[in-house]
Formats: sequence, C-alpha cells, structure tokens
Amino acid sequence: MIELDHVSKRYDGLIAVDNVSLTIDDGELFVLIGPSGSGKSTILRMINRLMPHSSGTIRIGGSDITQLDIASLRRRMGYVIQSIGLFPHWTIERNVGAVPEMLGWDRARIAARVTELLTLLRLDPATVRRKYPHQLSGGQQQRVGVARALAADPEVLLMDEPFGALDPVARDALQIEIAQIQRASRKTIVFVTHDMEEALRLGSRIAILERGRLVQCASPLELLRAPANDFVRGFVGQDERGIRLLSVVPVTERLRPGDDASGEPIAATASLRQALSRMIERGADRLSVADDSGARVGTIHLADLVRQA
Amino acid sequence: MTHHSILSERLVWITLVFVALVLFMPALRPIFAWLFPALDRPVYRLDSFLSLTLAHLALVAASSLVSAIVGTAAGIFVTRRSGAEFRGIVETIVTVGQTFPPVAVLALAVPLIGFGAGPALIALTIYGLLPIVGNTISGLTSVPPDTAEAARGIGMRPGRILLQVELPLAAPVILAGVRISVIINLGTAAIASTVGAKSLGTPIIVGLNGGNTAYVLQGAILVGLLAIITDLGFERLVTRLQRWRLV
Repeated sequence: MIELDHVSKRYDGLIAVDNVSLTIDDGELFVLIGPSGSGKSTILRMINRLMPHSSGTIRIGGSDITQLDIASLRRRMGYVIQSIGLFPHWTIERNVGAVPEMLGWDRARIAARVTELLTLLRLDPATVRRKYPHQLSGGQQQRVGVARALAADPEVLLMDEPFGALDPVARDALQIEIAQIQRASRKTIVFVTHDMEEALRLGSRIAILERGRLVQCASPLELLRAPANDFVRGFVGQDERGIRLLSVVPVTERLRPGDDASGEPIAATASLRQALSRMIERGADRLSVADDSGARVGTIHLADLVRQA
Repeated sequence: MTHHSILSERLVWITLVFVALVLFMPALRPIFAWLFPALDRPVYRLDSFLSLTLAHLALVAASSLVSAIVGTAAGIFVTRRSGAEFRGIVETIVTVGQTFPPVAVLALAVPLIGFGAGPALIALTIYGLLPIVGNTISGLTSVPPDTAEAARGIGMRPGRILLQVELPLAAPVILAGVRISVIINLGTAAIASTVGAKSLGTPIIVGLNGGNTAYVLQGAILVGLLAIITDLGFERLVTRLQRWRLV
C-alpha cells in the first residue's frame, strides 16, 4: 500500500504538488492523469524519491519513505520511463539483469530470470538477449524496459508515460501486455499518462490532477458517470463521454438471457463499445455472447447499449 | 576481428620498423654518409638510440599517467554536485591553457623550476592535463540524462552509476583527450631536451646547434614514428571500447 498524506512539492516558489492525499491499494493499477504541469510525474518521482517532497508524508507498506535507504527503496520499485533509458553499452541480458545483479543473485539465476521475463514480454530470449538496445525497435526497447523493471519481482511498478513515445500499434500491444501482467501478478502499478483513452483502458482507479491539486479520484465508470466538475468533464471528453462509458462496461452487465442472435458470438469480456462496433460492422441489432469456453451465455441488444446506466 | 586486420598489421609493421631503427641505427651509417657526404659523423653516437628512446618514453609515460589520473579525477569532481561550483573556473583554465603553445610552457618552467628532467616532467604533466580535463567534462556531460535517470531510478548508487554507466559511456571521449595529451607530450618531450632533459629530442638539438642535419633527421624520424604508433594504438583502443556501437 502506498499512502500520500498531505504531500506538497514546492520549488522555485512554485507549487508543483499541492496538498495531495491518496491511498493506492495493493494490486491496483492506479492511474495519475492530468495535463502537462499538473504534477502527475512529480508525484510518481516523489514515491521513489527521485524528487524529495517538501511537506507531508509518503508511506510504503506503512513505513515513511524518508526513513528508508534510498537505493534499497528504489530496488523495491520497478521504474519505467517514456524515454526508456536502457543502458546503451550493455546487452539486453545485462540490462534486464541490472537489479538482480545489484541484489547479488548468482549468474544462473539471473540468466533464468532474463529468459523468463523476455518470454513474458514476447521477445525471443535466444536472439534478443545478446543484442544491444540500438538494435531493437522502440516498442521492443520498451518491452525490455518493462522487463528490467520487473526483474527482481518488485512490490510496485512505477510507470511514467511508458508508452507515450511509441507508435499506436506498439502502444496498443504493450497496453494489453501490461494489463495481463498486472492481472496475473497482482502487482501494484502506479501509471502516469495524459491519454484518457489509456487511463480508462488500464486503470482500476484514476486520479485526475490539475495544477498540482487532486481534482477527483475514482474508478473509470464513476469518473465518466459523475465527473466532479467542468475540468474533469472536459478532460474525460464531453463529446466522447458516452462512447467512453460504453468502453468501460463489459457486455455481461447488459446481458439478456437466451440466445436469439445468429452469427459469430462476441466474448463475454468484451466491452459494450466493442459490441456496438461489431453491430455496426454487421448491420445487426443483437449479438450472442459466449464465455471463455465458447458456451453461449446470452444475447446483447442494441437497445440495451443506449439505455441510461 | 577480421576487419581490424589491416589496421593491426600496419601498427605491427610500423612498430617493427621503429624497433629496428632504434636498435640498429648505426648500421645505417653508409646511407647517412651517402645522404650527407659533408659530415664526419653521420650517425649520432653520444648516446644509444635505445637509451634516448627509453628516456623519452619514460618522460611521456610518467607525465601522461599523472595527467590522465589527475585530469580524469578533476573532470569527475567538477561534474559532481559537490564540485559543480568549480566547473566554470576549471573550464576556463582548460580553454585558456590550451591556447599556450607547449614550447611556451617549457620556457616558463625553466625560470620557475630550473633545468633538467624535473621541470620537463612538470611542464608536460600540467600541459597534458588540459585536454584530459576538458574531454572528461564533455564526455561525462554527454551521457544521456535519461540513462542516468534510469540508473538512479532502478536503485544504483552514485559510485556504481559513475563506474558502470557514466565512465563507460564517456570513455571514448575521455580517451580521445588522453590521446591528444599523449601525442602532444611525445612532441613536447623532444623539445624538452632544450631544458636539459634527455630524450629523442637530444640528437635534434645537438644536430641543430652543430649543423648536423643527419642527427636532426634521425631524432625526428624516431619521434614521428613514435607518434604514429601511439596514435594507431589509441585508435584500436577506442574502437574496442565502442564495439557495442558497431554491431
């Protein structure tokens, strides 16, 4: 658990973070979002003490971070940044193994861990491990960046606009990857972004910041249904709000019993937005829904999509 | 390593020629006698070329070693937070210092320290510091900030960041400074014989004073070859340090 208790950051007479209190629960994918200068990255960098906070208390697992050894604290938290920051003169193997090496793991254990992580991030360990960062594409480099952050199995993953510089295809793939890793490992992830689409897609909770202040902290659904003020309403996208609402609600929420639709079924994990898209594509007003095993569990109707939640 | 073979051969051949000349210069007496028929003694014999070469190399090695250690340390110090306030003054000294020709540094050293190998050593060391300090500063400041930030972020301590990230990335630039320093010192050490230090410059100075062009040529050829060998050696070293960039 990460707690921010009345935390502020002042520098050069400016207030970058203004009296923010937050609790990030274990196993959460917590998104910090806001326009540039809102203090979202500053908050992240205060958690691993890359920036000292001016006042207030930050606790991780109950202990005040200023009481902990700074390097050990950072080794407990994986750190992924937009510019990736791989060590250019090291092979991928050595980059991924950087934290385990500092923790004194033996070679065989590091090598096995590197293989495991590269496989998890869908990179071929046999060919990739001996390469240097400049030999990989941006998307592959950030996969290595994520692998490096996960190497010593940290309690927390701090991600600062990790996919912001990637092309849409690579970003999309990595978003799916990180969501899967998070679901499988139940790791606490603090994720900074300025992309609302990304925040709604990944976040279990989203904190919206404006000029250093916390404006609203809520689940994606709550945020869309009940924006706290005009700033949030504008930020979640007034015109897009309806569509975005559809994207955070799974089809199972509006399921009708019985299977009265024809054609390929849609997965139960799909969002209402995906269902709508599929209906438009097929010119159909209903779709049958199937669970993981392929068994039909019901039908989703167009009329139910537009029903006010 | 196949693509280095031409370079390595050139380095090997020039070194062999150099060693042969150092050891067997007197055997070339007929050639120098034919080139300079007016001279009674066409080969320098006051000292063996081996002892001149060793004295020359000792002078350069000692001064360059001290320059490299002190220069790199100074460059590291002023790029740390604790030494940042000295960076401006150090950079100014480096820039201004390099506009002095090495001969002027030697000439200034004599009235201050006197004649002999001592003053030559001090002058060479101080002058050799400048490119090393300058290049260490620019090498360390050219390390990408993201890389340094990531290193801190994953929990590397400052000493480890310096040794494993900053210095390896800055090494080619620092080494370029050492290379300049050593090459300058090889030449300056020759001139150092004017202030009484024994070196390959001794036959040159004796030859210039006594009108013996053969002596000048013998000293100059050896100093020139030494500079070429050193330069090629550094080139190989730099290539080796940057192997990761080439794959």
